Amino acid sequence: MDPPLDTLAPLTPSPSAGDPAAERGFFHTAWDFSFRMGIRYIKNSYKDDPFRTFLEVCLIGFIIWYITKQKYNIGTNEITLSEKEVDELVDDWKPEPLVPDLTEFERETLEKAIMIEGPNGTKVRLASATNSKPLLNFASYNFLGFLDNPDIEKHAHETLRKYGVGSCGPPGFYGTLDVHMELEKQVAAFIGHSTAILYSQAFAATLSVIPCFSKRGDIIVADEGVNLPIQQAIMLSRSKVYWYKHNDMADLERILKDVNKQLHGRGAKNVLPRKFIITRNTGDITPLKDLVELKHRYKFRIILDEAYSFGVLGKRGAGLTDHSNVDPHEVDLLIGSLCNSIGASGGFCCADKDLIEHQRLSGLGYCYSASMPGILTVAAADAIQALEASPDTYLPNMHENTALMRSLLKRIPGLQVDGDPESPLIHIRLTPETLVRMKRSGGAWTKTDIDRVLAELVEEAQKDGVLLTPAKYVDEHERLLPNSSIRICVSSAHTRKEIEKCAHAVKSAVSRITSKKR
Amino acid sequence: MGKGQRATQVYKSTEFIEHARDSDGLINGPADPFKLAPSNSSSLLVDSEKALKASKLSSASASVEPAPTTAAAATSNSPSPQAERPSELESVPSFILVTTYLSFLMLIVFAHLRDFFGKLLHPEEYVQLREQNGYAPMVSDFESLWTRRLYGRIRDCFNRPITGVAGGHVNLLERVSHDANATFEFTGRVRNVLNLASYNYLGFAQSEGPCADKVEQAMRENGVTQASTRAEAGTTRLLAETEDMVARFVGTEASLIVSMGYATNALNIPALVSRGCLIISDELNHNSLVSGARLSGATIRVFKHNNMQSLEEQLRRSISQGQPRTHRPWKKILVVVEGLYSMEGEFCDLPAIVRLRRRYGFYLFVDEAHSIGALGKRGRGVCDHFNIDPHDVDVLMGTFTKSFGAAGGYIAGSKALINYLRLHSHSAVYAEAMSVPVLAQVSASMRMIMGEDREHALEGQQRLDQLAVNARYFARRLAEMGFMTLGDSGSPVVPLLLFSPAKIPAFSRECLKRKIAVVVVSYPATPIITGRVRFCISASHTREDLDYALEHISEIGDLLMIKFHQGKTIETTETKKLE
Repeated sequence: MDPPLDTLAPLTPSPSAGDPAAERGFFHTAWDFSFRMGIRYIKNSYKDDPFRTFLEVCLIGFIIWYITKQKYNIGTNEITLSEKEVDELVDDWKPEPLVPDLTEFERETLEKAIMIEGPNGTKVRLASATNSKPLLNFASYNFLGFLDNPDIEKHAHETLRKYGVGSCGPPGFYGTLDVHMELEKQVAAFIGHSTAILYSQAFAATLSVIPCFSKRGDIIVADEGVNLPIQQAIMLSRSKVYWYKHNDMADLERILKDVNKQLHGRGAKNVLPRKFIITRNTGDITPLKDLVELKHRYKFRIILDEAYSFGVLGKRGAGLTDHSNVDPHEVDLLIGSLCNSIGASGGFCCADKDLIEHQRLSGLGYCYSASMPGILTVAAADAIQALEASPDTYLPNMHENTALMRSLLKRIPGLQVDGDPESPLIHIRLTPETLVRMKRSGGAWTKTDIDRVLAELVEEAQKDGVLLTPAKYVDEHERLLPNSSIRICVSSAHTRKEIEKCAHAVKSAVSRITSKKR
Repeated sequence: MGKGQRATQVYKSTEFIEHARDSDGLINGPADPFKLAPSNSSSLLVDSEKALKASKLSSASASVEPAPTTAAAATSNSPSPQAERPSELESVPSFILVTTYLSFLMLIVFAHLRDFFGKLLHPEEYVQLREQNGYAPMVSDFESLWTRRLYGRIRDCFNRPITGVAGGHVNLLERVSHDANATFEFTGRVRNVLNLASYNYLGFAQSEGPCADKVEQAMRENGVTQASTRAEAGTTRLLAETEDMVARFVGTEASLIVSMGYATNALNIPALVSRGCLIISDELNHNSLVSGARLSGATIRVFKHNNMQSLEEQLRRSISQGQPRTHRPWKKILVVVEGLYSMEGEFCDLPAIVRLRRRYGFYLFVDEAHSIGALGKRGRGVCDHFNIDPHDVDVLMGTFTKSFGAAGGYIAGSKALINYLRLHSHSAVYAEAMSVPVLAQVSASMRMIMGEDREHALEGQQRLDQLAVNARYFARRLAEMGFMTLGDSGSPVVPLLLFSPAKIPAFSRECLKRKIAVVVVSYPATPIITGRVRFCISASHTREDLDYALEHISEIGDLLMIKFHQGKTIETTETKKLE
């Protein structure tokens, strides 16, 4: 313990020769001192403790054993196979066909698919039609009648001569046209939000915006009734998702409370996940006011999909925020489409400037695909301008037509008319009682049976000069498949007479279909 | 038509092509080379391939003097197997590698330093990154570091707005920034610059000419849009006819048209594979393919870029081991590759993949976003280039954005596949149907390429030739100047390696000064080390355009010291000649 360790001194590294002597002396002493302390410490600690020495020797032995021991892969249970065995397995493997065979009903659907000849609008001609009488179109989302607007088409010719058709590049690489920037400003101003970004397809807008902000570890509380684009976007975002009952604010509040409680319990204040409420608007109208209140109370953000409500709801037609008198800034990310009521193509997202700029680099559909063709951009701009300039030429007409259509449809026996009274998107279904009555044997209805009846109904209506379509879904990918329905889209461009004709056609089709036993 | 008559017509057509070309096969003269096409030539019956062969033959014999160049072009004409091409990156001087990594390190260190002091001194500017009254920040601090501190410095090189058509030349809206790229101000001036950036391979981005006329006529007859999905009321006769034409063009039984390129992959792959299936994907596949694969719910595995050995290993292991944990056999295996990798300018090794497909029985999905229309003698994409029967590929996907000057994409394949997709693909059931002008543009340009347009029977083939010649000429000249280029010969995409992060914006800005629009890409779109500039060559570029660009690029190359291969040029030409 006591003997001085002077003998070790020469072993300590000495600084290079050129240094001042004083400095060398200091380093020397410091090094010497610490070295001695170390040795003394070790000696002291093992002096009267053989058990400790033994334990540590064992530990070192264990570490050496652990390091040198054969490695294994965690989590895989791969079997080592010889080359010959692999070859045999390869020969044996028979994949399923790339796509399954179509069912009989699907084949029929394909054969009877609507094919339009000439322009789409309130009146269309079918390519298959033997007589050249046009049909009244209640199948396209032409709520404001912009498809029939000759000015937009005329302007499109001019745009073609200036911008050509394709933009030949993503917005980042010389694909941003001046008309894109103008339309972005116009949309933002029309809705009353700060800034907007354009996507070249409505589906892709939803698919890009949600994963752009909500990542793994974030939390999404979504309406059960959201459509497939949102479901897919949530899947792509890999966030944790909770579903609340469609438009049920009490259920939403319960979930929000639960989520916050869990987060609080985790005590993870500094890794606060981004939380979103996602909702969308179709036949039913979301109670946005309540939603905003819940948002503030539970500190969530709102993502709202206005695929169908933009251009339709509200006094100005600016969508749900306009309709429910909510400041658009309360909706953190507002997604809308330009392909339905506006009659162009593509979608957009309105948000604060920072969030939009973030999307210009991280929005997948924005970065990785060509921008919207100039013609369609200008068509969208024209339509919005027309709507903004004189909402009264479009909206009151549409609301009247909607009210008339709904009242007429409701009078039809055996028919169930769904959706908010103000929504021009009407889903009609056969009531369960009617369906029971129609089945001769009293057996259960399968979904295909109902679909087939609805397809017949659509065909019957076509004979009366009205074009309808069953609402189509990819059944196997929908989370909660809505009940089969026929979708009727009322347009402001329809006349009163045409609405009556449509309702009448539906009525006679229903009576013809329901009288048939099967 | 008698044989003799036909021969004279062939002669006439080649004569026409010949007299407009010089030794490199480039068309000289007016700015718009297509104006040269005889507008009333009725030689629909001309065997275009024969004509082409004849033209090639005569051009080879006519130009004896510049022997080395033609020899080089001739050897590069034949599709060469990829494996023999040595990796460019192996020959990168280590000095460049070290300095590139060092500059990135410095950038990142400075980014963090600026953030640190910024937050200390101007906390109000960083409000967005902090938790605010119970809300988590929308964009996390770390995620946005790259955007704020690195991308922000070079923002002026991206999203440059244009007006008009992105053709061979493009009109840029000039903009300036007075606050280090935080905001831009438009000066109101418009600059016409040479466009080496847009995917306008065949030069169909035009607002005049036969295609635009067809589009206008189509809009007159069919309106503009459908406001409905393809599965409901969005199918028009025009759409159905265009789908048939696409199928005929690609050489499959049927096709399905989707209104957006990204969506073509992202929304259709989920209809093909699902849980219990396996997707084996090239590591450099486009993001839309990655999105589609992730949405499908299938297991995803990756093989090394264009490395057939890696693919085969992955296949053998996957098939023999089956699904993870359960060892059940996979339901299906879908191998997803791209025809032409747009960041690399490389073709996929399709012949080898097709051989593997025969052995292992997987399904093959080829994304021809960039190759359709641009590759192959007849412009039919990578299958045409490698002389492979399109039926050997199960799913052929492509876009109309690039070669056809339109937008959107297609999926082509067997009738059973397309019929299934028409009912089960998300794009057909939920997304808007393709609009009329875009459809008309697709059908007009495609008819022209196929030579079915009676009035412009030769023009399509002429554009294809022109593109092939332009692309080879441009790539060869760059290599001769000592630049380090990537990609296969004949690819209309020519990437040029810049490496250092500082040279990336410098190149773009210098080009813009000299009236050339280029695309520069860096991490995260490429590996961190290989920042590059990507030239997209078009059939609408004339010889003067290319020479102008080459001259200035050479100047910039000297300025930025990026001619890494200088001095080795003669050697490479020599070896090519010997081969």
